Amino acid sequence: MIIRSSNQLPRFVLMKRFPVPRNFGLNSRSRIEPGRSWPVSGKAKRIKTFNIYRYNPDLGRNPTLDRFEVDLDDCGPMVLDALIWIKNKVDSTLAFRYSCREGVCGSCAMNIDGTNWLACTRFISETENPIAIYPLPSLRIIKDLVPDLKHLWAQYKEVQPWLHSKTPEPEKERLQSIEERRRLDGYYECILCFCCTSGCPSYWWNGDRFLGPAALLHAWRWLTDSRDEAPGERLNSLEDPFRLYGCRTILNCTRTCPKGLNPGKAIAEIKKKVMERRGLRWQE
Amino acid sequence: MTRRRERTLLEGAGHWWRERVTAVALIPLTLWFFASIIAHSANDYSAVIAWLRMPSSTLMMVLLLVALFYHTALGLQTIIDDYVHSARKVPALIIMRLGCLALAAAGTFAVLRIVVRG
Amino acid sequence: MRGSMQEKYGPTSPNIQIYRPQLTSVLSIANRISGVVTSVGAVGLVLWLLAAAAGPDTYAFARWLLSSSLGQIGLLIFMFAFFLHLCGGIRHLIWDAVYGFDLSTIYASGWVVVAASVVLTVAAWIAGLYAAS
Repeated sequence: MIIRSSNQLPRFVLMKRFPVPRNFGLNSRSRIEPGRSWPVSGKAKRIKTFNIYRYNPDLGRNPTLDRFEVDLDDCGPMVLDALIWIKNKVDSTLAFRYSCREGVCGSCAMNIDGTNWLACTRFISETENPIAIYPLPSLRIIKDLVPDLKHLWAQYKEVQPWLHSKTPEPEKERLQSIEERRRLDGYYECILCFCCTSGCPSYWWNGDRFLGPAALLHAWRWLTDSRDEAPGERLNSLEDPFRLYGCRTILNCTRTCPKGLNPGKAIAEIKKKVMERRGLRWQE
Repeated sequence: MTRRRERTLLEGAGHWWRERVTAVALIPLTLWFFASIIAHSANDYSAVIAWLRMPSSTLMMVLLLVALFYHTALGLQTIIDDYVHSARKVPALIIMRLGCLALAAAGTFAVLRIVVRG
Repeated sequence: MRGSMQEKYGPTSPNIQIYRPQLTSVLSIANRISGVVTSVGAVGLVLWLLAAAAGPDTYAFARWLLSSSLGQIGLLIFMFAFFLHLCGGIRHLIWDAVYGFDLSTIYASGWVVVAASVVLTVAAWIAGLYAAS
């Protein structure tokens, strides 16, 4: 009942989806239709069914849900291993991003069994049967499980994630105490997989204007960096009814972060900084 | 900073702050209201009127109405901001705000009428 | 995302259609829905005040409406919605002070909100029955 960390799986799932129709609110070209079935040969002993979202831009048809059977004795333990197995042995047109296979690059972020996670750090044994694999929610799809991240990167660039310095460069390093460096812990580790942003309902409804938890977490990372010399300008650009205040503290972001980070807390800290700048202090 | 930027600066933060202030104000006000209503649930008309005519009750009731409908207007604005995107957004916001204003005014009018007329 | 650019370029991945409901999102939407229901209750409050101001006959009619079975059910629903919004709102205020963002605290406080709302509703209902007798 009490989830202690984001990689903890619930003991029982009360509701797999919200009670809305399968294609609720999806425009006509996004509706998902039933797709192909790819059974595995009879010799396999441990078989698991993978329902995977497919979309081929060259075919001009709607996205489909294809059903793959995977021989678990022939592929590695992670969901990414199964996807690579399918691509090698079953359907080589299956498209998905991956790189480090160890949970540090953020490329293989996708929606597995209803929650956003990295495919390379999710054990197949921890997933349901059949497993459902969708791309990151509410993003334009280029092909299969590959979403278009251009807007997300633009929003990341919008928070100016680099050091602003006005004073001349020091001869050696910019000094920072241990305590000041500790303020960056929990924020600098973000791998920009965008699981949080694509899992935020507020981003689903207003992603064009709301910056999203990933960009805002980095905005806080730079705001709280003692070496940065433009916190006022950063807060100026953030303080907007939608860019920052589009956050409704739903906290899906913190729940889903595959690195165990806390974007919700970062956003709350930014809002508190905004209030402090307006002259309110409740904690000295 | 230009004046336009200042207006934008206040908009999001101001809305957020006012929503919190009205929320904090509403905690004691609503609890007072609930406690009073439960305590008076057996009483007849004249007892309820006597209770409302007490200066403390009148003041709390008017404060409750103001804070309640201000908080309602701010909250419903958030909801409309989230779900209504087309040109329907502006009339929706206007109707909602005027509705909350009208309800608060009607409630205050009723309370004052009870105080004046008995 | 909205806009014609979006529609020229292919499908959008499903969001609420496939995302798993978790305590975070479920309690958040419950807070919003209970807020809307409480607003409807606020309208009822104004109507009740107007009935009291109009005179004993109108007030008696309002009382009769409230004591009917439909009125009692409605009252119970409004009370539960109000207490859910009250407890959820206090949880939000605690978050705004940047407390309780640990995932285990988020979940613990979430269950406390659900439990407290039920307990408060039942307690208020019983207190009302006791006072009315």
